[in-house]
Amino acid sequence: MRELAVTGVGVASTAGVGLPAFIEAIQSGARPPFRDVRSDTFDGSKYPLAGIAEVRGFDPTKYLGNKGLRSLDRLTKLLIVATRLALHDSGLKKDGAWAASSPDRVGIVVSNAYGSLEAITELDRVATLEDARYINPSRFPLTVSNTAAGYASIWEDLRAVNVSVSDGNCGALDALECASVFLAQSRADALLVGGAEAMSEALVLAFDRLGALANGARLGEGAALIAIEKPEMAGSRAANILAMVAGYGTAFVPPEREGSLVHATPDAVEQAIAYALADAAMEARDIEVVISGACGLQAFDQAELTGILRTLGEGACVVAPKLALGETLGAGGAMGILAAIALMGAHAGGTAGGPTVAADLVLRGALRAAPRTALVTSLGYYGNASALVMRAPSR
Amino acid sequence: MGRCSAMAVAAARMALADAGLKQGELPRRRTVVVIGTTMGEAEILGELERDWIVRGPGAVRRAHIPRYGSTLLPIHVARATGAQGMVLALPAACAAGNYAIGFAADLIRSGRADVAITGAAELIQELQFSGFVRLAAMAPEKCQPFDLNRQGLLLGEGAGLLIVESEAHALKRGARPQAEIGGYGLSCDAYHITRPRPDASGSIRAMRDAIRRSGLSTGDIDFVNAHGTGTKQNDAAEAKVVREVFGTRRIPISSMKSMLGHCMGAASALEAIGCVFTLETGLYPPTIGYETRDPECDVEVVANVARTGKADIVVNNSLAFGGYNAVSVLARPGVLPPPQPAEVH
Repeated sequence: MRELAVTGVGVASTAGVGLPAFIEAIQSGARPPFRDVRSDTFDGSKYPLAGIAEVRGFDPTKYLGNKGLRSLDRLTKLLIVATRLALHDSGLKKDGAWAASSPDRVGIVVSNAYGSLEAITELDRVATLEDARYINPSRFPLTVSNTAAGYASIWEDLRAVNVSVSDGNCGALDALECASVFLAQSRADALLVGGAEAMSEALVLAFDRLGALANGARLGEGAALIAIEKPEMAGSRAANILAMVAGYGTAFVPPEREGSLVHATPDAVEQAIAYALADAAMEARDIEVVISGACGLQAFDQAELTGILRTLGEGACVVAPKLALGETLGAGGAMGILAAIALMGAHAGGTAGGPTVAADLVLRGALRAAPRTALVTSLGYYGNASALVMRAPSR
Repeated sequence: MGRCSAMAVAAARMALADAGLKQGELPRRRTVVVIGTTMGEAEILGELERDWIVRGPGAVRRAHIPRYGSTLLPIHVARATGAQGMVLALPAACAAGNYAIGFAADLIRSGRADVAITGAAELIQELQFSGFVRLAAMAPEKCQPFDLNRQGLLLGEGAGLLIVESEAHALKRGARPQAEIGGYGLSCDAYHITRPRPDASGSIRAMRDAIRRSGLSTGDIDFVNAHGTGTKQNDAAEAKVVREVFGTRRIPISSMKSMLGHCMGAASALEAIGCVFTLETGLYPPTIGYETRDPECDVEVVANVARTGKADIVVNNSLAFGGYNAVSVLARPGVLPPPQPAEVH
């Protein structure tokens, strides 16, 4: 991968909308309340054993106005808000108008694991309890997985590549790889890259039935995007460079038993990290902090940690921002990238030189102040893992 | 596995056999699986939802839950074939095949992989079927792309997978290439979630980009495989694109959807296979059901009967919900100019 510059971020996390709330959450390390659901999407009290957290106080009208929101679902609204914030944070837009580049040359690559379960359930209810002939045609497009990204393009006039990626928990890191290929091919000047996942009753029900939310893991939601561009593009428009994306790796290691499906494998993590380091032309000792995807799901946390320590050594510093933000699935890797940016401290919201992540979120090792390099890791549920190497911008 | 994954796995096995690649011959860690889809394992989700809605949360079968997710399509294909590189699902609605094949080719060109198992899979499920009915996009009886009296699309399903290799890898193992993948173009209308932009500017941009990125000009193209769904808006917009891109030249154009149905995410992958067939045989597939010329679709439709013609280079067009436009170029081996470095805009 040719190094790419990160020039802006946009985020709606369980800590709230915007980077300051995100940074505060990982600095305080406060776990989200066991039950933090206030939206009207469903009645969370039906799932007393499930730890769930929504984007605190999410009010899309504050960012998007009142018009045209009714036909959108929560996933789409979260993504559009993050898109708008990232475009403005990067300086590509100012006060809603293009300030650099042009609609034809800016696109979006966004990961999402499970689509709009909100819309699918809504239509399935009508089809099952009444008749399929009565489903609302204006809601039907929301059931299609790439619709959120399509709407983000409509709202923000992004006419270059528009790509949705679905690769479970690894999707957001994989989206970075896709984006790096697209930028290398000059398919855009700048791309908004990351992930989005929305809370829905179906998602809670599924994780609850699997017993995944009872022992410390919280199901979260949110959207996180970064603006990336070639360093020369960022330089020519004097953009503020927050971090560099330096290398990517991924691997799939199937379970040995034919009948197994869900599979927590340290081997895939190990391989993905080795490829990412080679891609960034770095050694294991060059990595100062690992942002893991550990979220409280024991088998997966353990496999990921094992893979990390095998590659980077027992002394590696491993942090787990998901303990504060919740598991956000398709958006998880993007939340990890944001945590890396916050830790490396180049953003105005970061506190360069000071402790930037709560001790509660440090799984292993000692976190040094203002690390210069970070490795973000994600482990999927079926045997794949991805890793991304980032570094602080040159001083 | 769910039915959608099963179709993808079956197609992958057929593709490997057709490519003469035996299990164990794949460079595992240098083999990626990139699969397009709209809804992936929609049937599994439909079953889970029905159990929940009709019988309550306690009726949802635990073992069934992990079987849902688009990511399972490439996972199952990787498991069945031994691939251990990137596993990626690209949900790009009805343009997903072109997205997947194009991106897989990009991964190989950029040195990220030697072999890609790529294409798309989609199944028909009640929700999608009723959705298209409610959007008034379905034809009552027959699908008649570009016809004056066309009334809409007919849904189909399936999986179409291709084995894409670097030239070096194919040469090394003495494989006979069936076709070469040229460039591809992607753009987004940023206009409406289901309707194409009336001036078709996004679609025009994607088609020109695909041709330019192949190092070609429009005069080099022999045949256009149309998206050709048979809806009023799609076909009119697409005819406009072809007239804009090819000017006064009456390039032969046809829609396989008149015969295969609209297989949604799988469509452009299945049609890519049809394009390879065209390159190998010189046969342009017909658009069946074509009866009456539509002045709004003033293009050279290969009407009702297959036609023979020059078939060195073909364009595979696709459009999708979300304002997606994806166009790829496929060519007979050896006729494309050598790849050029990406142009700087």
